[in-house]
This record gives sequence, C-alpha cells and structure tokens, in this order.
Amino acid sequence: MNPDPSMTSLGRILIVEDDPNDVELTLTALADYNMANEVVVTRDGQQALDYLYCEGEFADRGKENPAVMLLDLKLPKIGGLEVLQKIKSDDRLKTIPVVVLTSSNEEKDVMRSYSLGVNAYVVKPVDFHEFVNAVKELGAFWAIINEPPPGSAKK
Amino acid sequence: MADLAGPSTHVSVRRTLAYWNRELQTLHSPILRYGFSVVSVAVATGVALAFQRFDLHAVELPVLTVAIALTTWYSGIGPSIVAVVLSALCFDFFFTEPFYSFAISAQDLPYFFIFVLWAAVVASFSTVRRRIETSLRATRDALQLEVEERKVREEQVRKLNRVLEIRARDLEAANKELESFSYSVSHDLRAPLRHVVGYSELLQKQAASSLDDKSNRYIRTILESAKKMGNLIDDLLAFSRIGRAETRKTVLDLRQMVREVVAEITQEAKGREIHWRIGDLPLCFGDRAMLRLVVVNLLSNAVKFTRTRSPAKIEIGCASQTENEIEMFVRDNGAGFDMRYVDKLFGVFQRLHLPEQFEGTGIGLASVQRIVHRHGGTVRAEGAVEQGATFYFTLPTAKEPAQ
Repeated sequence: MNPDPSMTSLGRILIVEDDPNDVELTLTALADYNMANEVVVTRDGQQALDYLYCEGEFADRGKENPAVMLLDLKLPKIGGLEVLQKIKSDDRLKTIPVVVLTSSNEEKDVMRSYSLGVNAYVVKPVDFHEFVNAVKELGAFWAIINEPPPGSAKK
Repeated sequence: MADLAGPSTHVSVRRTLAYWNRELQTLHSPILRYGFSVVSVAVATGVALAFQRFDLHAVELPVLTVAIALTTWYSGIGPSIVAVVLSALCFDFFFTEPFYSFAISAQDLPYFFIFVLWAAVVASFSTVRRRIETSLRATRDALQLEVEERKVREEQVRKLNRVLEIRARDLEAANKELESFSYSVSHDLRAPLRHVVGYSELLQKQAASSLDDKSNRYIRTILESAKKMGNLIDDLLAFSRIGRAETRKTVLDLRQMVREVVAEITQEAKGREIHWRIGDLPLCFGDRAMLRLVVVNLLSNAVKFTRTRSPAKIEIGCASQTENEIEMFVRDNGAGFDMRYVDKLFGVFQRLHLPEQFEGTGIGLASVQRIVHRHGGTVRAEGAVEQGATFYFTLPTAKEPAQ
C-alpha cells in the first residue's frame, strides 16, 4: 500500500521541532519509508521564519516553498501559533500546507490552530508505532499524494 | 453667608422647640401635670383681667381656650378636664354678669354653655391630636431603627461581597494556574515519555537478536510501564478537562444514549454472554458529551467487573423520579466491592482491585462523579464482595430549563 517514492515526485518537508529526540524519531520514521531525503529541520520559530523568508542563514537558498510544514506548537523564541499566524497572513506563504504536530490535545490549541487556518492538526501519539505511522502517513499524504501549490520545492 | 445663616437659624430654632416639646411631654409627675393645668388657667385669667383693665373685652374666651389646649397638649387628659372645669368657673366668676359671683343670669346661660362645650371640643381635639402624634412618633422611631438596622445589614452585605470578590479572584487565579499546569503536563510530560517509548522500541528493533531473553523482557517492561504512564497522563488530562470545560446543556434522551453505548460495548465484548436489561429512562437535561462519558464509564465498568460471570447481568434503570430530579442506576452481578471502601470508590486513581485482576487507571468513577456534580447531581454506590454492585446518579429532569 505504501506509495513508492521513486515513482512520484517527493515534496520537500519542513520540520519545525525544538526537541532533538523528537527530530531524530521523526527522521527515523520518515527514513523507514525512504522519505527522509528532502527534509529540512529548523529548531525554533525564528529559524523557521528565516527559512521561509530566505533570511539569515537561509539567505541563499532557492526561493521555493516547502510542500508541507510539520509545526510543533511549543517552540523557543517564537511559538508555533505565532509562526502559523505569520504564514497564514502572508500572501506568498499562506498556500503552504501546515500540519501542526504537537503533544498538546488541548481544545484551546486545536481551536486556535484551525481558526488561524491550519491544514491539519495531529497529536503526537505516545506509542512509537502509532507515532511512526502518523509521521509516515503525514509524509506520504502531504509530500507524495497531495498536489502541492505551484512553486513548491520538489525533488 | 446670609444664605447659610437663614436656614441654619431656622433649623436651630426648630431643634430648640422640638427639644422643649419633648421635655414637657415627658411630664410624668401628677403634681406637675395638674399644677401646669391650674397655673395655665390662672395665667390666662390674669391676662384676660389685665386686658379688661384696658377696656379690651371678649379676650377671655380665646385666652382660656389656649390655656385648655396647652394643658391638654402637655399634661394629658386628667389635667385637661381640670382645666376645663377651672376655666368654666373663672369665666363664670370673672367674666359673666353678675361679676365676682358663681351665679349665672338666665341671659348668659347660653354663652356659658357654648364656652363649656367649646372648651370640651378643644380638649378632645387636642387629645386626639396628641394621640396621633404619639403613634406617629413611635412609628418614626421604629422606622429609624429599621433604617439603622438596614444600614448595618447593608454594610455586612458589602463586607461579604468584598470577601466573595476576593475569593472569586483567588479561585480564578488558582484555576488559571491549574490550567497552565495541566497544559504543561500535557506538553512537557508526554514528550520525554514518547522518547522513552520510541528509543526503547528502536533499541528492541536494533538489538533484539543480540540480546538474551532477560534483557528483552526488561525492554518490554520499560515499554509497558511507559505506555501505562502515557495512559495515566491522558486520563488525568481528560479528567481535568471535565472540570474546566463549559457544559452545553440540552434535553437528552437517556434511553437512546444507553442503547447506543450498549451496542458499542457489546461490539467490543464479543464472545461474552451479557444479559442487558434497559428499563424506562426519562428525558433529562445535561451536556451530551459529558453524560455519554458517564454512561460509557459506568457500563464499561459493569462489563469489566462481570468478566468472571457467565452470563453477566447488567441492568440500567430509573430508581426514582421527583419533579426536579431523576435517579438512575446501573446494576451488575460482577465482582462487587466491600462497602467499607465505598468512600474510596469515586476518588482519583483509587482502585479496589489489583491490576492483574481488573485493568484500569482508576479515573473512570472519578470522572463520573465530577460530571454528575457539575450537573448538580449526586453519586453513590452499593455493593458487596462477589455480589455485584449498583451505582446510582441523579440528574436534573428535562423540565428544568423551562422554569
């Protein structure tokens, strides 16, 4: 059932996650399904915005948007909800599909995310198998099955 | 200044008058009261005689009347009768022909009678007025007392309000703190747990073949414990959310809800023989999602604790109904419990069975209690070891919102 990545174009995944363990587990999950090739990891809200606006350390990267962005909510410097708000109120960035991937299943966070225009909200499962499945499905859907908006980075 | 002086003198005069009025009204000694009567009639007679000396006639009538009125006003009924009699005698003696004699000429008789009648009328009017004024004064004093009492009460109410306000603020702050606490629990406590599980699984995958059975069992235990802790955290968060979430109350068909839940649970408990008996359940008033959780918790508990029974018998019904409240029950023929520990039953994370016997985190009944309390109801339980258990909960009837 797994879509074969070699047969389709794979979109670039931007991960915004401060916890190195979560980054490693996410990358491991994606690697299990050969989807780790085109993954960019940023570690806080500021770095994520720098990447999206091609500023700071990302000044000379290509101008394409990622095909999907996996966004944690609890981030140093600039929080996930604020990043989401900035993206969704920017004409050039608001087409990027944003998936909130967080530990929080607080109704408050879910409501706020959706009202800001998030494309999906996924609570990180404690169980590793479920976590791997969730990340795999997210990657498969957004980076392979979903047709990203024009101007997104493809492998 | 003149503007101010005017009303203030006016007020002080009125105060002085009122003072003397009160002082004189409190004449209680009979000697003083009757003395006042005699003296006032004597003074009036003197004044009338003095006027007569200057050839001013017909003054005696009004002057004596004033004396009678004053006596009635200040000394009461007895002295006023004395004053009337004395005035009549003086009038007769000094002012009707023949002068200086108590004899009355037939010609003056009508005048004399008119005077006595007039004096009696003035005296009785004064008495009535005095009585009215006394009762008015009593009423005024009572009102004043009431006003003062009300002031005291208002002050008490204000004080209580202030206390309540402070308490409400404290509660709000505590609630906020609790909210941020459970928020950080949800975020920060689960992340490391996910890592424990994740890395243990990675380790298991990586090294399962090179590890001996014991090491593999250790890893499995780590995984199981971490998952259990995850469940505990999830349950605790769900429980705290019940306390904080707003209730959206509507009229609910409990029978329908119970049927849905029973169908769901039966699906999960396939292969077991369970005899369900669903009695007549009335409409009630409450939050659908929350009450569904109550029903799910109670029914799945009943299913869980009848695991050793075949057939398991579970009954849901209405125990009693009043105008405002209905009491439902869920009865099973399962493991039951010792009534000595009934108080622990609804506590958070309180369990009466070993985890090997019956799994669970001990949050289900605590949630039931919290939800029912939030609906203004009560919960209670009856049971005996190996004799089954019955759980009761009350809810407001569907009539309530109409009121």
